[in-house]
Amino acid sequence: MTNAVSRREFLNLLGAYGGTSAVIQAGTALGFMPSSSRAAEISLQPSAGKKVAILGTGISALTTAWELTKAGYDCTLLEASHRPGGRMFTVRSGTVIDEIGNYQRCEWDNDPHLYFNAGAARIPSIHSSVLKYCKELEVELQVFVNESKTAWIQDDALNGGKPVRNTDYSSSMQGFISEMLTKSFGDSQLDSSLTKSESETLLGMLRSFGDLNEDMLYKGSIRAGYGSGGFLDHGTKKDVIALRDLLKTQLARNVMVTTNEGAGSGPLLMQPVGGMDRIVYAFANRLGDRIKFRCPVTEVMIREDGVEVAYEHNGVTEVLKADYCFNCIPSHLMSGIPNNFPDEYSEALNYIRRGKAYKAAFQAKERFWEKENIYGGITWVNAPTQQIWYPPHNIHGKKGVVLAAYNFGGANYTEMSQEDRIEDLLKHGEKVHANYRQMAEKPITIAWHRMNNMLGCAPRWARNRGGWSEKEEQMYETLRQPVNGRHYLIGDQSTQHSAWMESAIQSAHYALADLDQRVRSEAA
Amino acid sequence: MKKIIAATALTLSSLCNIASLAAEGDVGVAAAMDDRYCNTCHGVEGIGNIAVEAPRLAGMEAWYLKRQLENFRAGIRGTHGEDTQGIAMRSMAAKLSDESITDIVAWAGNWEYVPAEVTVEGNVNQGRTAFQTCAACHGVNAQGNEALGVPALAGQNDWYLITQLRNFRAGFRGSHREDTYGSQMVTMSKTLRDDQAVINVVSYINTLQK
Ligand SMILES: Cc1cc2nc3c(=O)[nH]c(=O)nc-3n(C[C@H](O)[C@H](O)[C@H](O)COP(=O)(O)OP(=O)(O)OC[C@H]3O[C@@H](n4cnc5c(N)ncnc54)[C@H](O)[C@@H]3O)c2cc1C
Repeated sequence: MTNAVSRREFLNLLGAYGGTSAVIQAGTALGFMPSSSRAAEISLQPSAGKKVAILGTGISALTTAWELTKAGYDCTLLEASHRPGGRMFTVRSGTVIDEIGNYQRCEWDNDPHLYFNAGAARIPSIHSSVLKYCKELEVELQVFVNESKTAWIQDDALNGGKPVRNTDYSSSMQGFISEMLTKSFGDSQLDSSLTKSESETLLGMLRSFGDLNEDMLYKGSIRAGYGSGGFLDHGTKKDVIALRDLLKTQLARNVMVTTNEGAGSGPLLMQPVGGMDRIVYAFANRLGDRIKFRCPVTEVMIREDGVEVAYEHNGVTEVLKADYCFNCIPSHLMSGIPNNFPDEYSEALNYIRRGKAYKAAFQAKERFWEKENIYGGITWVNAPTQQIWYPPHNIHGKKGVVLAAYNFGGANYTEMSQEDRIEDLLKHGEKVHANYRQMAEKPITIAWHRMNNMLGCAPRWARNRGGWSEKEEQMYETLRQPVNGRHYLIGDQSTQHSAWMESAIQSAHYALADLDQRVRSEAA
Repeated sequence: MKKIIAATALTLSSLCNIASLAAEGDVGVAAAMDDRYCNTCHGVEGIGNIAVEAPRLAGMEAWYLKRQLENFRAGIRGTHGEDTQGIAMRSMAAKLSDESITDIVAWAGNWEYVPAEVTVEGNVNQGRTAFQTCAACHGVNAQGNEALGVPALAGQNDWYLITQLRNFRAGFRGSHREDTYGSQMVTMSKTLRDDQAVINVVSYINTLQK
């Protein structure tokens, strides 16, 4: 099998992607970079006694309650579930997973290291508001390892289905990309656009990026580890995986960008020591009995001078009257709750669709991945289970919790019984680790689109891949305005970048700033 | 609504994992574990929820609710790969015991009839003509007929009626061997010429709210 791609072929490809001239214009991007992203400073006008109803206990609601309580507001939080935190959900020994039609109770060993962040799991360094509250509420953080070069890639189409180390794959891919770009340097168009010293810098970088030899060709790299030796004896390079072989898997899309997923979510990532819900409980413990559990909201009525919220508790309907209401109940559930919102507002609320997501995990009898030189990071598999994560904490401990599936979608799991879901994750996992099945204890699974009081992963606004339509932008603005100055919709549903805790918190800050302005102007 | 709460208290040791849990009273206790999950999808007291495409149950006949739950449980409905919403229902219904079904039907049977909001506009006159075929079983006022085993249509969410007519026409619903009522609907739905005819007939049904 040949691994060569001709320079001509490659340049044609480049041309198809819009050529190179656009990218080598001198840019102004350097000037645009904000020096750092900073959390908003919240300083609310002290307002003793004003009553606030907060619906749901997602992170946006907890933030709102915390800030308002500090400023003297009288807050009540109504939560339908038995637990706070919504999509910030950590599973450990004894945790109930309230999935509709698939109730589970986690039976893992009772050990602080054995937990699973079933919803939010990663905190990027630039998520300043999340980090600000971790600091303020003394939630201890540790580094989260998103990428491990020793983790695996498994695809039935690649290497006869045998797993390949991330590093074998990525070093070769990087090498070939560099080689191809270097070859394109002969092109007069490119040559003439760069000065000699610019060309030298670029070539130098490409050579080291791809670990090319003196002839600027990729002939393997010790970055992939040694074929033999390397410590007492000279190390030898491993064989190169041919480019055409590398291209047999679509997983390259994931493998090559794991460290850079999402906006600004590259290194460094963090996680709270002991589970993501440490953040939730840091708020909830301070809010104490302001939170009422198992109190599903059943009606929201906006009145001239306030808001009336009906909720149910132990079979009895109660009404909470408040001056203001902050609501993080998922929009697709609010659609089934009677209210008197203006038509335009309801239309926007009903428009948002819910994303689906599926995760699974098990307690591993032993930390089998460490015997394979893996200490965290992600293995990518071309199967519906998609990912395997290894815990970066409690290294060399006895057991660990392995994420056995993470599918952004996973509608197919809806109809699967728990037994079938477990067989599915074992079947795909043992293609990567031969002893996977023997190591897996007490798997749990979570289809977010089936979770009680949630029925979704991330809200989806834009219906077209191309981005937000004008109508969508308008509806978004409609929802950002409080109804009658009384009812605020919060949560990541009320942002243009869903699926992040940071967005949910910022939605709360945005609403609080609006409220504060109203309160101040009333007082004036 | 009566909700029986079978709370399972966690052992204290497992709670110690979560340092200084103040809100333990409620937080550390398992959820209420009856099978009354209906409102999460179907809306408060079964008013229906367009955003998750779950139809109105408020005012639905108890006998029909029971039959549907049993059909979903048995896989007679909700197993066709294209019946997305049916699959969602089936994955819950598959777990129900006879007692749970009785409990749910008694509970949901109490929800007051609330006519659903009108969301489609078709040609009502053409719909009226087409409806004559439907009326033979469902009644001239789309009020349903227990003796014939046909449910009421009046007051149901129009988007739901449209989805089901489309499902019947495509065979996503009603193709199961044992779905006798469904198979009749597969045949009858084909008397509607095209999708516009579906919208028209539902627009006419919209005029018949109880
Ligand atoms: C699988 C997954 C992975 C994720 N990964 C990350 C990540 O790595 N990093 C990150 O930053 N973010 C991540 N997120 C996103 C993050 O979890 C959310 O953006 C954030 O937690 C949303 O908070 P929220 O305030 O919008 O409320 P939600 O968490 O949506 O809370 C809604 C609340 O409303 C309650 N409720 C529902 N119905 C009623 C009712 N009738 N009455 C009263 N209460 C009701 C619910 O019980 C819940 O408490 C992930 C989410 C998922 C699902």
